[in-house]
Amino acid sequence: MLVSYGNTIQEAINDRVISLHQSFRTEPFIGLVETVPSYSSLTVFYDPLLVRNGHPGVRSAADLVKAIVRQRADTMNETPALFKKKTVIIPVYYHGEDLDFVASQNNLSKEEVITLHHSRTYRVFMIGFLPGFPYMGPVDEGIATARRSSPRTKVKAGSIGIAGFQTGIYPLDSPGGWQLIGETPLKIFDKMKEPVCLLAASDEVRFVPITREEFERQDEYHHS
Amino acid sequence: MSIIIHKQGLLATVQGKQRYGYRDAGIGPGGAMDLFAMHAANYLVGNEEDAAVLEMNFPAPEIVFRKDALISLAGADMDACVDEIPLPVWKPVLIKKDSVLKFRKPVHGSKLYLAVREGWIAEKWLGSSSTHLKAAAGGYAGRSLEKGDVIEFGEPSFFLTENKILPWGFTSQELQEVYPVNKAMRCICGAEWSLLASSSKTIFSEQSFALNNQNDRMGYRLNGPRLFTEKPVEMISSAVDAGTVQLLPDGNLIVLMADHQTTGGYPRIASVIKADIPPLAQLNAGDEFRFTIIDAAEAEDALISRQQKLQEIKAAFRQQYQKYFQH
Repeated sequence: MLVSYGNTIQEAINDRVISLHQSFRTEPFIGLVETVPSYSSLTVFYDPLLVRNGHPGVRSAADLVKAIVRQRADTMNETPALFKKKTVIIPVYYHGEDLDFVASQNNLSKEEVITLHHSRTYRVFMIGFLPGFPYMGPVDEGIATARRSSPRTKVKAGSIGIAGFQTGIYPLDSPGGWQLIGETPLKIFDKMKEPVCLLAASDEVRFVPITREEFERQDEYHHS
Repeated sequence: MSIIIHKQGLLATVQGKQRYGYRDAGIGPGGAMDLFAMHAANYLVGNEEDAAVLEMNFPAPEIVFRKDALISLAGADMDACVDEIPLPVWKPVLIKKDSVLKFRKPVHGSKLYLAVREGWIAEKWLGSSSTHLKAAAGGYAGRSLEKGDVIEFGEPSFFLTENKILPWGFTSQELQEVYPVNKAMRCICGAEWSLLASSSKTIFSEQSFALNNQNDRMGYRLNGPRLFTEKPVEMISSAVDAGTVQLLPDGNLIVLMADHQTTGGYPRIASVIKADIPPLAQLNAGDEFRFTIIDAAEAEDALISRQQKLQEIKAAFRQQYQKYFQH
């Protein structure tokens, strides 16, 4: 079941999505499996058999879930979205392989790209693609750059990239097409930790530039 | 007190229950590609449906049993044999200590599940023993099985003098219902179905598609007629699920499978219903099939009647098991 607020990237819309998501976390209905927030929609996963068993007399689980979700969304829309947003500082060593490309595409120097990238606070709109991969934005118009035409087969964990108005961090070594501009020594995904992901949707992120020496000192990956 | 992988297979993994509750962190449910066969394998040996099983592709590993075991095979037929004696699929079998289980050739299907009474002992990660290959977590060291790996299982309550096929199992009629020949995969319209050109809508439900040779646990790419949206579509990412049929920029389709990404940015034109993911999962490269569109209510009924049927089978096998092992 998809609750869509349109095909748009706006903080206010994303606030709605996340408050609805959190509302189902704290007050699930019988048969709810989980909900997944994205930029402007919430997907509700449920078990039809549990929904029907939990609500005797109901013929269609889909219809019932639709009614429950609509009612919840309406109630939520009447109140301002209220939830805690944590701010996370992410150190970045700006030396990405696509830094030159992003600079030349936008008629900027590398230093200007770096400054524009870390001079604002980003919102985590959603987590997806990989365990713990944060879709953040929006980046300054001046550095917004389309994805690489041909994705890399391996992007190193910790790499920070730009795709259009989005910026993101690769939590794991993975294929990927984002324009790489830097690298963080922080592990944003650690399977041994609780929680396993450093970031969640609605968090705020500030990037702080660091030197190569600082990067190596703080490196949690110990890349070989 | 275990089995040992004597010869490595192609991406054999430990799969347990699905890992729910972490999709918002980008971690999908994962688990068996063919949940019907996985659950069936467990029911055959009297387990709960979610006990950990081994999922195997051809070539499958060669396995040496280091103690007596009650096992079952369900799903694909790979001409299994133990000490050169053929073993059936969809039936429980008693295997003597020191037996060697081999799989000689692919006969039909592509995913085979090996269950053992009490289940394989596997590493849990986030509440599930399914192997998460990307995160390298859960199952057996978070990876596929390699030569020399030792997998433990619970202590059996019986002593064997010979290998023996037990007298219960799935009937061919029961299997026909799940895996019919020339199956049309039932699906419901996806969130972006309406964006398809009308000619593409017709093609989708009338023409055949075939499994491409680029398919893995994340998704099955299809060969066939190319489909197009009415207008160019620029989408932002949102959630996807196993069974989601996405339209790629080149007009080809991909059906997302167990280890799919949690979100995607391609148009979701349809979703294969849960009850038809098992026959889809069992396809091999080149196998042809069609899609047929049904409504959401029919999809729900199909899933529920499947679940009820499985519960009946589970209860029947439990009885057989208790009767057999009482004396």
